[in-house]
Amino acid sequence: MKQRRGGISSGLGLLLVPPRVEASLWRRFRFEHETRCREQIFTRYRDLARAIAARQLRVRPRHGVELNDMEQFAYEGLLVAIDRFDPLRGIPFGAFARRRILGSIADGSARMNEIDAQYSYRRRVEAERLRSLAAGHGQSDPLGALADLAAGLAIGLILEGTSLLAPEDGMDRRPNAYESLAWRQLQTQLVQEIDRLSEREAAIIRQHYENGVSFAQIAGLLGLSKGRVSQLHAGALAKLRKRMGYR
Amino acid sequence: MTERFEMTLCSDEEMVQLLQAMQSDAPDALGFAERLIEAYPEDARLHFLRGSMLAGAGRPIEAHASLSRAVALAPDFSLARFQLGFFELTSGEAARALATWEPLDALPHDHYLAHFTRGLRHLIQDHFAETMRELEQGIAVNTENLPLNRDMQLIVEECGRLAGPAPAAEASEEEEASATSFLLDQFGRGTTH
Repeated sequence: MKQRRGGISSGLGLLLVPPRVEASLWRRFRFEHETRCREQIFTRYRDLARAIAARQLRVRPRHGVELNDMEQFAYEGLLVAIDRFDPLRGIPFGAFARRRILGSIADGSARMNEIDAQYSYRRRVEAERLRSLAAGHGQSDPLGALADLAAGLAIGLILEGTSLLAPEDGMDRRPNAYESLAWRQLQTQLVQEIDRLSEREAAIIRQHYENGVSFAQIAGLLGLSKGRVSQLHAGALAKLRKRMGYR
Repeated sequence: MTERFEMTLCSDEEMVQLLQAMQSDAPDALGFAERLIEAYPEDARLHFLRGSMLAGAGRPIEAHASLSRAVALAPDFSLARFQLGFFELTSGEAARALATWEPLDALPHDHYLAHFTRGLRHLIQDHFAETMRELEQGIAVNTENLPLNRDMQLIVEECGRLAGPAPAAEASEEEEASATSFLLDQFGRGTTH
């Protein structure tokens, strides 16, 4: 007499009390030192940061600041908020974070206007990614190094067009007429391979390619140095490349 | 069931006062519990009651700490252990809830908490029919903790919605038939296992 129903109507889903689920993340992060809860909290509020960034982009004077930049400032604010929040004070985190995110966007935009509005976040991320992949290659086999680099970047490109997790923003991500079947199969295979990576490697790949979180912020999120994240990123892409037969 | 509280415990009188304060929603019930805990820090029942009040007051982090303290002080305090696990389950920590409940396996098979625990374990695995059967049986034998029966009854009703005749498109006839006969079983109060 077994009744199985998946999806939203799961047995555990029936019991969950959302404020308790959230409190459990804070409790484990703050008092039980379960560091991966920090990333889970970040992911939980990422859409809030994104929404604030999009709105700020509309209401603030542009001065060359792009949506990507805005999102980075918002993520920075969110990270600061996560580290400063006192879950025992009874203030909802969303309200607390909103102020920090707005502050971070204001600071970041001002800083950017002064320094270099031209050198946008996107370009910084691309340069960062390239450095991560290029590091560790000697000069002995320049052609091999170039091939490695190209394959690494290609995997990055495939990943960028994928939604690794279920879309939360309700966007229609069905393939359009231009996307070939082969391309979609490749993406699917890649997503499956990412699931096989270690928890930390998968977190880096997902946060970076899916959410556009910078290496420095991922470093903060996972409690690692930026250099280590860069290394892990390169290692994870190399693994993906190998498993997908790019030799 | 055996409960081991040999330490300095608060008097029956004080306990009655605290329970009355809680039942009448007295504004200082929590403060009263905390004063008693200061006087009798080893009394697991006080930590348990404080935990329940904090859970009701939307202070889940402290509620978990209090319930955990109660269980640490009195590992055989089954009701506290059950509630701690239930709290963890409703917080999304299924693995931890299962670990918390493990010692409850020593309870007599027909104890209401044994039924409830088995029922909720089935629920984690989406075995709705088994869940309902165990919870119903627990409710039938539980005469000492009626508020808990209400909570479990709500779960039974939710399960009934999930396990009952499903949205037409996906459900096969066979599935519907078994769900229906299951419901009839329940109303007929069979002792099916």
